Amino acid sequence: MAVRRVEQIMGLPISVDLRDGDAALAERAFAWLREADARFSPFKPDSEVSRLDRGELTREELTPDLVEVLSLCDWYEQSTGGAFTARVPGRGLDPCAVVKGWAVQRTADMLRAGGATSFCVNAGGDVVTAGEPEPGKPWRVGVRHPDVADQLSVVLGVRDGAVATSALYERGQHILDGRTGQPVSGLLSVTVFSDDLAIADTTATAAFALGRDGIEWAAAQEECEVFIVDEDRRVYSSPGLPVHIC
Amino acid sequence: MKWAIPVAVLSVAGLVPVWLYSPGAAHEGEINEAAAPPAQEQQQVVPQTTAPQTTAPKATGAAPKTIGAAPKTTTPQQQAQNRTVPGPAVNTSEGTVQVQVTLQGTKIVDVKALRAPNSNPTRMALPLLRESALKAQSADIDTVSGATATSDGYKQSLQAALDGAK
Repeated sequence: MAVRRVEQIMGLPISVDLRDGDAALAERAFAWLREADARFSPFKPDSEVSRLDRGELTREELTPDLVEVLSLCDWYEQSTGGAFTARVPGRGLDPCAVVKGWAVQRTADMLRAGGATSFCVNAGGDVVTAGEPEPGKPWRVGVRHPDVADQLSVVLGVRDGAVATSALYERGQHILDGRTGQPVSGLLSVTVFSDDLAIADTTATAAFALGRDGIEWAAAQEECEVFIVDEDRRVYSSPGLPVHIC
Repeated sequence: MKWAIPVAVLSVAGLVPVWLYSPGAAHEGEINEAAAPPAQEQQQVVPQTTAPQTTAPKATGAAPKTIGAAPKTTTPQQQAQNRTVPGPAVNTSEGTVQVQVTLQGTKIVDVKALRAPNSNPTRMALPLLRESALKAQSADIDTVSGATATSDGYKQSLQAALDGAK
């Protein structure tokens, strides 16, 4: 049975559009997302992340989930020469950039394991999909135009996949270059298509933090296809991007 | 537009040194054609380079067929409009390099390696990107990618409209 619900979790509007499977799956999905927020938010004093940051937990005492999140943070930090970091100098540990995509990907894995075959989860503009909304048709994922909020710059056709976009248009310059602590410039919008939202989302954020260097960097990431708009409004896209011809 | 082809070939010739640039231990990982890992496995990762590798030995006369064989490259529509032009084979200290350019009118829309030295850095250095101008469009969609992170932003967003549409 079909369920469509939106909830605000992790500071994001999260939409679950479930086209089949048990309706209780949606409730379980939101329960997991609330749990992930409680455990990994740097803004909640009781979270595992806050406790680690205050030195109340050692690395050995962490849950495997947080170890996985922190390993992803470390990998992208090394790969970007520190432009992407969960530890901006002068600030506390903040793995949010990884947690969101990782937690939403796990939501999708849970829905699938629970028997759902056709769904779309959208967390603040980062999307993971399964199956087809209608037989023979992919999920049509519009990528927001960087200048015009109600227009699209491209539409992707996605079945089992993930699409994440990092951009400046809403919260001002909220992505910092970890090497300088300064807001980054050079790109307006980075969209990454991959099999896994943890990878798509982190790759998009990390590419954004690299500025113009992020274009080639993101395109070279394994199993990632990119659609990137720079400040001159030039578009750089991978030949393998699943563009949907409307 | 006869000049388009020489221009394209020259542009591509300019890419050759970039492509051969291999920081660090470039030679260490060099493998020859015969020893290269199965193409299937590689194709998922870097389709641009692996497809030509499978056809490399006879690629000089490169029929457009060889392009069609590569996964995830051009849509049937593009194939109808595009022209492909093989460049000259260039001998370098790293091995023979030959590229093929796909043109849409006078615009380069894709560059592929027909022959490339097989070291890992070469593979990594070929994430070829298509460049185009930003366009705005509206279309029927199921969901929107692009941060609608704040609640105000969300209320005004396309995604909110889609969520409310039921």
